[in-house]
Amino acid sequence: MKIMQRGFNYSQDGPGNRLVYHLQGCNMHCPWCANPEGISVAGVPMYITDPESGRVKEKFSCKECGVEELFDEILRSRAMFFEGGGVTFTGGEPTVQFQELKALLQKLHREKIHVAMENNGTNPKLSELLPFIDYLIMDLKHPSEEIHKKSTGVSNKIIMENLAKVLDNGRQAAVRIPLIHGFNDTEEALEGFLSFFRAHPSEGMTLEILPYHEYGKEKWEQCRMVYEVKDGYVSQETIKRFETAFRDAGIVVIHT
Amino acid sequence: MDIFEVYKEKEIGEKAEKLFREERSLERLDGWFLAREAAYLNREELEKLPGEMAAAVKLDKVIDSMPLSISEHAVFAGTQRDAFARTYALINPAFEVETFCGYCDATAVFDDIVPNEEFTKERIAAVKGYMEQTPYVRKLQEVYNKYEEYTGEVAFFIEQVTGHVIPDFRGALAFGVESMIRSLEKKEKETDNEKYKVNFAAMKKTLQAAVKLASRYADLAGELKKTADPERRAQLALMEETLRKVPADGADSLYEAIQSYLILWQVMCLEQAPNPYAFSVGNADRIFEPYRAKDDLTRQEAADLFKHFLVFFNIGDRSWAISQNVLIGGRDAAGKDLTCEMSYAIMDAYYEMNFPQPILSVKLHKNTPDELYAYMGKFFFSPGVLTPSLFNDDSVFEILRAGGVEETDLADYSVAGCQEPLIMGKDNGNTTNSWLNLAKILELTLNHGKSLITGKQMGPDFAKDLSGKEMLKQIRERFYEAAAFYIEQMTDAANGASEAISKEPVPFLSAFMGGMDSGVDMRDTKEQGTKYNGSGCLIHGLTVVADSFLAIDKLLSERPEEADRLLDALLKDFAGYEELQDFLLSAPKFGNNIPEVDKEAKEIAVKISDMVAGRKNYLGNGFRPDFATPSTHLLYGYWTGATPEGRKSREMLNYGVDPLYGEAGQGLGFRILSAMQLPYEKFRGGYASHYGIDPKLFTAAAYEERGLQFKNRVLAPTFFNEENKNIAPFYLYVNVTTPEILRAVLENPKKYAPSGVYIMRIHGTFVNFLDLSPAIQQDIIKRLDLDSTRV
Repeated sequence: MKIMQRGFNYSQDGPGNRLVYHLQGCNMHCPWCANPEGISVAGVPMYITDPESGRVKEKFSCKECGVEELFDEILRSRAMFFEGGGVTFTGGEPTVQFQELKALLQKLHREKIHVAMENNGTNPKLSELLPFIDYLIMDLKHPSEEIHKKSTGVSNKIIMENLAKVLDNGRQAAVRIPLIHGFNDTEEALEGFLSFFRAHPSEGMTLEILPYHEYGKEKWEQCRMVYEVKDGYVSQETIKRFETAFRDAGIVVIHT
Repeated sequence: MDIFEVYKEKEIGEKAEKLFREERSLERLDGWFLAREAAYLNREELEKLPGEMAAAVKLDKVIDSMPLSISEHAVFAGTQRDAFARTYALINPAFEVETFCGYCDATAVFDDIVPNEEFTKERIAAVKGYMEQTPYVRKLQEVYNKYEEYTGEVAFFIEQVTGHVIPDFRGALAFGVESMIRSLEKKEKETDNEKYKVNFAAMKKTLQAAVKLASRYADLAGELKKTADPERRAQLALMEETLRKVPADGADSLYEAIQSYLILWQVMCLEQAPNPYAFSVGNADRIFEPYRAKDDLTRQEAADLFKHFLVFFNIGDRSWAISQNVLIGGRDAAGKDLTCEMSYAIMDAYYEMNFPQPILSVKLHKNTPDELYAYMGKFFFSPGVLTPSLFNDDSVFEILRAGGVEETDLADYSVAGCQEPLIMGKDNGNTTNSWLNLAKILELTLNHGKSLITGKQMGPDFAKDLSGKEMLKQIRERFYEAAAFYIEQMTDAANGASEAISKEPVPFLSAFMGGMDSGVDMRDTKEQGTKYNGSGCLIHGLTVVADSFLAIDKLLSERPEEADRLLDALLKDFAGYEELQDFLLSAPKFGNNIPEVDKEAKEIAVKISDMVAGRKNYLGNGFRPDFATPSTHLLYGYWTGATPEGRKSREMLNYGVDPLYGEAGQGLGFRILSAMQLPYEKFRGGYASHYGIDPKLFTAAAYEERGLQFKNRVLAPTFFNEENKNIAPFYLYVNVTTPEILRAVLENPKKYAPSGVYIMRIHGTFVNFLDLSPAIQQDIIKRLDLDSTRV
């Protein structure tokens, strides 16, 4: 498997202390992406300037690791899965490496290790993975298929279908909406989200708004890619307006 | 008379603050010189006496002649000011990594006294000249001369150990030194052994000297009383009355117990002046709780008195008496928690005063109450406030048990200096006796015994006829052969230094270290005076060497054709070899939960610990492996050339058992998992580890809640991890801050530290960040290494 990053994180990507793997490769091309080095399925070289020497060093975005190797690493990390923690897979888009991911998830499930997965919902075979996932994080970017496709390069059709199935099933799902000015901070988008959630009410669902940030902007330059978002920041008022509207619709809004 | 009747509410605490300010305004410390001069002036008399008695008479003369004073702000009489010089490197503005060469010259301290009309150059030179001729200094010089080829560029280093033990004053506090004197008189009569007879008599003389010191202070208080206003008169009368009682007789209140303790401590330090660093109070809460309880004092009352106890440990303008340790908390051998009301009173005093000394250490175990963790929150998360060192009793007990410490002594372990566990009153560990630089030994192995820094042939060639690929293939075996050689040299030299210091016996301290039973001085090199004895070895460069072995493996497996270039790259400090350096830097590094390198570090630690522990000290006891590097990772790094894992010449080595700065960038989880692999059961002498923690990671509003978060996310996973089947880590210190905050403090100290004090930890000790030498300030900033502790 191609792994971009690994590291522990407390409570942001699932409960407790978690070992988080960022898997290389994504089928979307979101211009605001915080991990642009993870978009290419094959991986990309990054050119990083050492602040002390000023020398530019080349680093490849990911490393190849076998399923067994990862499994061993997770097992020997068990001591750090305290407070209900475990492993989280995110990306890129983890389901791009579907077969290997599935094999790993099955092994972890047998070992009773708590698994979370953050995904963009585009994989038609997502339901095959769900039995092995204890904490599901689903990204939802825009209710309009046309706008979604224009900005991310991918239709939202399968996303909505996958998410609808998950919600109708009543299982736990932590939905995340990246809120970006000029993309989805409009009344129309809000209405679209609301109408979708009204159609698929679920007690297992929580919703989190992830306001636009530029923490990953430097990495676009390191990948020799052009960062094109000009003014993506959303105001506190906008965030509050969205959250209030969701809460009014009976949705549990969380912050991690 | 009751202390709380003669002082108004809050007055005791306010006086402690004033006393501290007064102490910090002192820019001269000349008492230690007077103590040394007393020996010089009485040399003819002293030379006729047996060594132990000469030491006792010398101490008595010092106490007779030392000028005494009692400040208008003093609640207790006593000071340890007269035992310390303005010398300690890390807070000495003159300190530079480039020129520092250790404390090997016992007469260098005479250069720290600035001559004036009273202390003229001639007067200083006369005492220095006398001291240079003492058997102690001559023997020490002989040892240093013999091993200079190895110590100059620090393949190893050795030193004579002063301070660094934990006296057991509990009996003296409870029953008074008069009862000890009576017991010594009886022993003196009963023994036929001439040596013991002299030793018992010498101990007695020093205990009498302690009573004499108290009596001189009592007289002075009586004198001051005559001209004092009525309020102060009553205070001085209480002081006088107390000093006529203690330490001669047992204490009956917390006030008396503290007064008694301070006099005993003062005498103990005077006996070893100058600079007996790192004596430890031991488990202070347990020592003083019976007196607090007897008095039925409130926590606030006890804390106010303890504030004066703390002031006593701050000497002069930079709090020069460094590394004296106060411990609280912990458990007994059965697992019962020993935290008590006095533990919190002591912590209250620390928090409210926030002095640069003495060090606070907190002993934890799996049943430590959450209340203590919650209380520690404000220490960890208030900027510029001291943070305690943290010990894991559950592990320490196991290690001490395996090291032969009896069950009944376990709870009495405490820490002298930074982190060396010793049994109070029973253990002379000579903790800082020897210092080993594994990274330098690797350098010398690779370069055929020659220094990469100076080109000097420092030692034998352990890789004769080997070069390039063949040399690298055999690097481990050759390294261990070289290590065995240097460890042998080092321990021989260290024993020489212990022999040198034994020529300055310490009858007073010996009386509180088992000498009352054994009749033997605790520094005796022929007969063991303390129940437990060993010699320390501080081992440097563990993870640099582990990373280096793995980098060599990677080179051999992926680029064997470049093996011949490695030595040249190291010689040239990677100039022209930048690409090779990048390749070596990309090899697995300790601290990232990568099994092969973590196992390597473990193997090195096991092998080197066994080699060190296998060497015998002057009494035939083993050396104690201690993987601590108290700022010496900078000094020894400065004398170590480029290393195969990509580190450049003269850069710092790794701190303690930690990953090298910048090499463990994947967060605290992986660091802890790697650290768990190390063989703590072998670290009989202790070890050091530091986490720099970004305060932003702990978001709870209240300090108490953040204290518990800190327990749950940092301390419990490190110390009390149920999944860890090995002996768990047992020591940690933390700095909760960011490089940006510290740079701002340095740029604008008036804004961020209006009191002039901003406490940071440097290793086992904490200090006023603003007092530190610039090199050490920068080391603290660099080693925060927040990428390695993300949670």
